[in-house]
Amino acid sequence: MKNSHYLFIATIIAGSVSCRKTEFAEVERTNGEADFTHYIAVGNSLTQGYQDGGVFEEGQENSYPAIIARQMNLVQNDMDDFEQPMLNANGSGYMHLEYINGEIEVISPGDTLGTPTEEDASWADWGTSMKSIKYNNLGISGITLMQCVALNDEEMIVNNGILGGFSLQIPPFIDYEVPGNPFARFMDFGGNPHMLIGGTPIQYIDHIRNSEATFFTSWLGDNDVLGYATSGGIPTEIDGTLLGLGVIQYGNLSDPVAFRQKYDSVLTAFSSIGAQGVCATIPDVTVIPYFNTFTVAGIKEDYGYADVWIEEGDGNGGVVQTRVATDEDLILLTASDDIEAGAGSSETNPLTNGRVLDKNEVIACQNRTIEFNNAIKASAASFGYPVVDMYDFLDRIKPGIMLEGIGISPEYIGGGAFSLDGVHLNPRGYAIAANEFIKVINEHYGSNIPLAQIGSYRGVIFP
Amino acid sequence: MKKLLSCIMLTFGASQLFAGGFQLNVQSARSLGLGGANTGFSWGTESVFFNPGGMCNLKGHNFTFGGSYIMPLVSLQTPSTDNINQTSPNSTPIHFYYGGEIIENLYAGLSINNQFGSSSSFDDDWEGRFIVQNISLKTFTFQPTVAYKIHDYISIGAGFMYTTGNFAIEKAVPVGSTEFDYGKAKLSGKGTTYGFNVGIFSTLLDNDHYRITFGASYRSGQTLSLKSGQAEFSDIPVSLQGTFPTSTAFTGELKLPSVITTGISAQYKINDKNKLTLVYDFNYTGWSSYDTLAFDFDNTDTPDSKTTKAWKNTPTHRFGLEYALNDMFFFRLGGYYDITPIQDGFVSPELPDQTQFVPTFGFGMMIKDHVGFDIAWIHQDAERESDLTDAGFTAKYHRVADVITFSATIKF
Repeated sequence: MKNSHYLFIATIIAGSVSCRKTEFAEVERTNGEADFTHYIAVGNSLTQGYQDGGVFEEGQENSYPAIIARQMNLVQNDMDDFEQPMLNANGSGYMHLEYINGEIEVISPGDTLGTPTEEDASWADWGTSMKSIKYNNLGISGITLMQCVALNDEEMIVNNGILGGFSLQIPPFIDYEVPGNPFARFMDFGGNPHMLIGGTPIQYIDHIRNSEATFFTSWLGDNDVLGYATSGGIPTEIDGTLLGLGVIQYGNLSDPVAFRQKYDSVLTAFSSIGAQGVCATIPDVTVIPYFNTFTVAGIKEDYGYADVWIEEGDGNGGVVQTRVATDEDLILLTASDDIEAGAGSSETNPLTNGRVLDKNEVIACQNRTIEFNNAIKASAASFGYPVVDMYDFLDRIKPGIMLEGIGISPEYIGGGAFSLDGVHLNPRGYAIAANEFIKVINEHYGSNIPLAQIGSYRGVIFP
Repeated sequence: MKKLLSCIMLTFGASQLFAGGFQLNVQSARSLGLGGANTGFSWGTESVFFNPGGMCNLKGHNFTFGGSYIMPLVSLQTPSTDNINQTSPNSTPIHFYYGGEIIENLYAGLSINNQFGSSSSFDDDWEGRFIVQNISLKTFTFQPTVAYKIHDYISIGAGFMYTTGNFAIEKAVPVGSTEFDYGKAKLSGKGTTYGFNVGIFSTLLDNDHYRITFGASYRSGQTLSLKSGQAEFSDIPVSLQGTFPTSTAFTGELKLPSVITTGISAQYKINDKNKLTLVYDFNYTGWSSYDTLAFDFDNTDTPDSKTTKAWKNTPTHRFGLEYALNDMFFFRLGGYYDITPIQDGFVSPELPDQTQFVPTFGFGMMIKDHVGFDIAWIHQDAERESDLTDAGFTAKYHRVADVITFSATIKF
């Protein structure tokens, strides 16, 4: 009797306490239909974690694939560790801000101003001992989709020369010390039958085939536009005559037909090993700060020019004419020093072709981006992979948006998400990108990976 | 590259300052037990506040003083965090009323209470730190009042409201340096404002069995001008201290809404000492005055802040039932249906207001017609999922608040 009396009182107390409970129960986390056991990321500099003009430890730790993997772990904690080809400390060296004489200055490696963050001593040898390791993050700064897989022997040689440990820069063309792409050195590209050393080439796509991916993210294709755009519409040329290849041009806008073919090849490689995954479209490069920090109107205002004079390119490295710039011409971030020195002030002292993405080149980039994105979407659809629309996303943040109470826009430095090189994101920007991937993964695969908190990833570090 | 052209502008949206019907409807224990209704009847000193026209049934000199203990609990769930709890303190708004007949048919009264207030806190490093970390608003309103009994069936009253307000908000500023992950902003200010409170009260029917009364009141809106607020920024990178100085003044305005109320009460006299009374109030609160919230900083480089609130005018229905036993014990039961002024897309974490029905309970006793005590308890419990579009913040909220209100009355 007494016991039941206490029980009654206890029930009353418990009841009134439970009325005071507001806490939400822990969300049941699930990977849904997805298997994140072995997550592989393919892509370029964005995927490698490149930011502030370099690859370095902190940047890699906050690459968007590393962030995605961290979040995936919360729904599938038995997944394999997400291994990245890490650099030591300052890595390849990077840009930072300093406050000098009341001005915020961008200090790049090798600058005479301030105290530059130079490359780490280990950068020179980075990658040499990594070639046999199978990493999860296969992002390579600078890689184009064109370089992922060759359609013919000539492409094979060029790709191998650019990505592999052998420079095609001639003379001397047998230079083991100067890699074509220093950021690709962690990967084994085999040999080059046209070099004295010989051997069989290994392509990027072979690494995909051997990746054992159960899940992948693919954000390839940016450099098929970006390389052209950031050079002001001037392709790179290599003299390959000694190899019997004539003059090789790369860094042009890639061909859309080949683009579709190669994207299909990449997805075939993944689907043939049974990997699930998600693809991302490429943003309109002309939105990024690199092309929008120096504007024609801004230069006129800040430097008192009546007009800004530019060289108009023919889109192939040549110059058509010198003319007055309009708002439709985009001045590159790298024109900074030239502008300081008076370039652009007159017809006889114009901003050179390589410092300007002129109107026609802008339109070419934009149109080609749309073509590539259509190819990505069609290709992904044919394999049943969902697509993260990064083109649409960057377009939405263009006027500036708020996330978690933080203002985000594509403005240089002030915008909060782009790093100091004006092209790549900073950790906060990469967290935002990671969340876009996560949303699509959750939606398509029925998982509920929690979003990353963007506020806990750093934005720009102000001096 | 060297010199930068772009001047760095960062958004400082001192965003949603006070969300969620920050009106404190806990101005009398007696009224609160009846769902917060008190305009259509006139048994107590609190009429000075609820309906100045209803003072004219007071006899002698009447003093009421009391307070509330508000115990809020709020939890949030966001797309990245399962559970975040507010660390908000409990608050203790007070009320004091005096009313009495000065000369025949002319009555004087005074009301002092905290009509508006809200205070919310979160851990400093919580996910929404760039929206709000701590916030508090407290107003005191002093209202000297006169009322005139035109005849037994109708009376009118008017009060002059003088309101002082204090507010403070702390939030993180999204600028980082090698030393600090983010900066801090603290805005604090105070101001005063004026308004008026008018009411009319009418006894429609009063016989041996029934008494029916009606009242209407209007409390004007008030604009609290924060003329010399202080904004203090700390942990700011050296290069941005021109934009976010250690200290700068700011001005801003906070609009307190008008409230128009009509109320009715119907009493059934079971016998001399036992009565049953049904009351109903209809409030219409002019929250739409609270359309934007703007801060202008004295320091020219500090970006001024403007937030659109887009609140809606909203009705509240209040009703209650009182059983008077022997004119000594009073048992009260009531409830109110409160429609939130905050539209979807504008719900802020500091006070996630929600349309809800709230039950109220009360008890009172009166000793020899000279000393009385009243106590009331209400329990709010509401969930809401919404975003705060301006800040890019989405959460699911669960808010529970218990309020205990106590009043003591002395008559002589």
